[in-house]
Amino acid sequence: MEIAPGAVRDQTRQHDQQAALAALVDEYASTLYRVAFSVLRNAADAEDAVQEAFLRVLRHRDTLGEVRDHRVWLIRIVWNIVLDRKRRAKTRPETDDIADLARVLPAHGLSAEQRAAAAQHHTRVLECVEQLPAKEREVMLLSAFEELSSVEIATVLGITESSVRSRLFRARNLMADLLHHARGVK
Amino acid sequence: MIQPIPIQPNSSNIEAEETLRLLAELPAPAGLEERIHTVLKAAPVSTKILAWPVQNGEPLRSWMRGVAAAAIVSVVAGGGWAIYSRVPQAAGPKVVELPRVTGSGGFSSAGAMRTPQTLNAPSVAQAAVPQSSATAPQSASAKKPAHRRTARSTQP
Repeated sequence: MEIAPGAVRDQTRQHDQQAALAALVDEYASTLYRVAFSVLRNAADAEDAVQEAFLRVLRHRDTLGEVRDHRVWLIRIVWNIVLDRKRRAKTRPETDDIADLARVLPAHGLSAEQRAAAAQHHTRVLECVEQLPAKEREVMLLSAFEELSSVEIATVLGITESSVRSRLFRARNLMADLLHHARGVK
Repeated sequence: MIQPIPIQPNSSNIEAEETLRLLAELPAPAGLEERIHTVLKAAPVSTKILAWPVQNGEPLRSWMRGVAAAAIVSVVAGGGWAIYSRVPQAAGPKVVELPRVTGSGGFSSAGAMRTPQTLNAPSVAQAAVPQSSATAPQSASAKKPAHRRTARSTQP
């Protein structure tokens, strides 16, 4: 029985693509999840977003070879997905989510009172972040990822590096004002 | 070559960014990768081209595919032509007939009759009566403005 060389080549190519995709999942699923979670702040939604991102990659797996930086490319895909989801779920009140999230944030080695104070502080910060304009908030959220440089943030957002820096500058100033005001009110 | 963005030396900013950093460092749930692998395996890979028939375990060669595709195209085109040629074409009207405007409906003149303006002759003013030569200068002076006349009369 003769096997056509074209069929063998197709099978080999498919196998290579599947292997490459599996490697991407193993390497970047965690990073993508963290990026998705920082925006959606819900574990299930974040995992769904990551799965959707990899499904998109599966559909366009033929272009995998053309991608220069897989990590930034994947982060950009998941970023667009989570922004889209967040836009759709705008009607949901976020105050409870923020309070829940603040309790989830790590507070090792703290007493119960300190932990409660830390949770309050995190809640206040996250509420202030929510009050930032969208562009500044996005840059601020991405800048919290230590593995992302300003160039990579610019690539993810589709803007220039100088725009990233100026937006981050504005975001930090606004955050300082908001936090100062929040403390004054308290 | 990661260049971290410098943080401004502001305590509130540092605290705020620390919170975001904690948020960004929250670990992914256990078994995330396995679940994604499962989803990817279960997902339909892509829209496949219809599988060509296999003869004795050997797939059709490319030239056979071409012949088969050409046969399909010729059958479809021939069938279309056969239908087109057998359907009698309806004879269209030879004279173009304009639609008649009936009295009912549409706009009407409401019984009004148009009277052309040429029936009423234009009225011509009576010709001026010839005047005597003595009165002519008076009438000319009468046309002058009053203030000029008074000004001349006051001059020495």
